[in-house]
Amino acid sequence: MAMSPTALVARRALAAASQGSHEGGARTWKILSFVLALPGVGVCMANAYMKMQAHSHDPPEFVPYPHLRIRTKPWPWGDGNHSLFHNAHTNALPTGYEGPHH
Amino acid sequence: MAHQAHAYHMVDPSPWPLTGAIAALLMTSGLAIWFHFHSTTLMTLGLILLLLTMYQWWRDIIREGTFQGHHTPPVQKGLRYGMILFITSEVFFFLGFFWAFYHSSLAPTPELGGCWPPTGITPLDPFEVPLLNTAVLLASGVTVTWAHHSIMEGERKQAIQSLALTILLGLYFTALQAMEYYEAPFTIADGVYGSTFFVATGFHGLHVIIGSTFLAVCLLRQIQYHFTSEHHFGFEAAAWYWHFVDVVWLFLYVSIYWWGS
Repeated sequence: MAMSPTALVARRALAAASQGSHEGGARTWKILSFVLALPGVGVCMANAYMKMQAHSHDPPEFVPYPHLRIRTKPWPWGDGNHSLFHNAHTNALPTGYEGPHH
Repeated sequence: MAHQAHAYHMVDPSPWPLTGAIAALLMTSGLAIWFHFHSTTLMTLGLILLLLTMYQWWRDIIREGTFQGHHTPPVQKGLRYGMILFITSEVFFFLGFFWAFYHSSLAPTPELGGCWPPTGITPLDPFEVPLLNTAVLLASGVTVTWAHHSIMEGERKQAIQSLALTILLGLYFTALQAMEYYEAPFTIADGVYGSTFFVATGFHGLHVIIGSTFLAVCLLRQIQYHFTSEHHFGFEAAAWYWHFVDVVWLFLYVSIYWWGS
């Protein structure tokens, strides 16, 4: 269950700060925002970006499992066979991936 | 010139509760009409009526509180109770979806392959965008606290900056989630995994949008000098709601994204 050390430190610090802030409060939380919170977001942005680059771009092979791609009732839009956030590259239809490149 | 011998607010008659109830009726029946008869007219009408109701009802509350002085300390206390009770009801709302998730994931049926995630499901990596989303919401909790202290200390410019930053972080979360929804290798129709994932995270996302909107209204009000350092309950309510949204995300992240992968 390993988390990145930075995220661990960030979580511990944020928990401590919320108990420790009192007078002069605005300045304290401003410092926490620019020194801890926003850099923490920056680190996670970099981490997510690098991990995404390291991905393979091919979706998993299509297996027509009966417990997936359920179509008990068609959706009330389009041809009723595509989910709201359907992505032809990563989401197969019950009959398989759409288009020629799979 | 006082006409009342008590500190409470006897609200003037208002049409908004009725229009709100009518909107709820039109939206629910409109949803059924859409599903069965493919017409969106009734539902759209209900949605417009809902938006009009919310705008006018809350505008009236701002008039009564900020401009007419009806929000005395005991009245404010009542409003605090109200917001706390409302958030509590929302906690129970999400509890139901977490119950559904754990019901299905702790004892995966043979139809799913007897495992969780079910056979054929590629879950999202919890240490990519979901971790970023966690950082974004935690950061927004810090910036909204900065905003609160700024308001209490009369720091107008800082209050505006920190509130705007909080809203931007909320919008960033929403954009990231929308991208995740589009890129996900599974859909809502992918068995109980898809259902629990998209319903729980979907309602959470809706609450992020609601919370961001609430904060944006507070930003506009702060710019227009509605809040004083002693009296800014609208902002406090928005901040409580925002922290609630953050906490729900933490539970979603640990349960569905992390444990559930």
